[in-house]
Amino acid sequence: MTSDADRTRRFNELAEAYSTDLYRYAMWICRNDALAKDLVQETFLRAWRALDSLKDVGAAKSWLITILRREYARTFERKVPKFTDVEKVVVVDDAELEPDERVERDLLRQGIMKLDAKYRDPLLLQVVFGHSCAEISEQLGISKSAVMTQLFRAREKLKVQMQRDGVTGNVHELF
Amino acid sequence: MSMNFSEFKKLIGADPWSQDPEVLRARNSAPEFEQAASDAEAFERKLQSALHVQAPTDLLKDIKKITQQPTQRRNWMPLALAASLVIAVGAVSMVWKQSQQWDSVEAYLADHYSHDGAAVLGHTSDDISEQEIAEMTGRIMASLNASAGKQLTGRIKFIKFCPTPEGRGAHMVVSTDQGPMTIIFMPGTQVTDGEMVEFDQMHAYMVDLEHGSAAIIGRQSQAVRSLEALVRNSLKTDMVGA
Repeated sequence: MTSDADRTRRFNELAEAYSTDLYRYAMWICRNDALAKDLVQETFLRAWRALDSLKDVGAAKSWLITILRREYARTFERKVPKFTDVEKVVVVDDAELEPDERVERDLLRQGIMKLDAKYRDPLLLQVVFGHSCAEISEQLGISKSAVMTQLFRAREKLKVQMQRDGVTGNVHELF
Repeated sequence: MSMNFSEFKKLIGADPWSQDPEVLRARNSAPEFEQAASDAEAFERKLQSALHVQAPTDLLKDIKKITQQPTQRRNWMPLALAASLVIAVGAVSMVWKQSQQWDSVEAYLADHYSHDGAAVLGHTSDDISEQEIAEMTGRIMASLNASAGKQLTGRIKFIKFCPTPEGRGAHMVVSTDQGPMTIIFMPGTQVTDGEMVEFDQMHAYMVDLEHGSAAIIGRQSQAVRSLEALVRNSLKTDMVGA
């Protein structure tokens, strides 16, 4: 196999393994579907150019997340994106959910959108990518105990938010 | 010493699927611990469901197309635009250049558009007033010793400097009844008039102007030639200052 073909194969494997999760992550950090897609494409474009610098395939996920986060920071410096109505881009198996569950899920989404980045970021890394607290610590450059505190508080905030909105019946304010 | 309930709740609140032996031991130590762990897991399933976002169906296909692009030739370098232009736009744009020349205008357009064409299309915004865009257009075009004319200026939704095969040019997004299209103004580059160039599911109509040229870029479903007259009549170069 030629080196070019090998390079392409490695890249395609990364794309197949991580593009969906990266999009999901991008969507929740930038809350704009068009920008999320651009971010993921730009991430892979940069990854393609720098692929030879990735020596450890086990580090690929964190490497791609780092590229995406940097690209997002650059984009955000240029322009604050408009938020998208997340309902337009989220597809779930609604038929399997009871009406109450759907309301609960929507409240949860509303809560996630409102979370401060310092809570949302570690939560997304854990739930979307399955990162451990140690991996999140490394990715975000904060201590493991800080990560654990932020994860705990993120979930507590979501629960409080859901209870408050659930009690007031504030479902129609979603997004 | 065994873990107390408060500690346990904090640990499973941080990591509901924790396999830490101490956490697992605590979980089995009393019914209230077991209940708290079950509740945390149930909440986690809801969280996973809420975060489930469907990626666009063409995402993977588009990403794989990246491998068809050259990897070593480009050397994009971000530079800040002039502060006055930054303020007018309300955002920092990127000026980039490359260390080597493109082989052709076609290669330049494909390269340029793949770099930021789609992203710039998405950056068109209603939160910048027409007047601000008109002022911005005036300044950019003036610094290129050119003008855009009122008719074209009225349609511009976004404009920034961009590199061209021969010096600096302008990258514009204009509104049309077929959706936004891109115009790249290349004041120092001559092209084959009326030539159609295709790349990455896009096509570009080349307009050779009296001085310089322009490429009208759109999706293949868009009639890019519909902007030809507007471009010809509007984009003028001031040869006194050129």
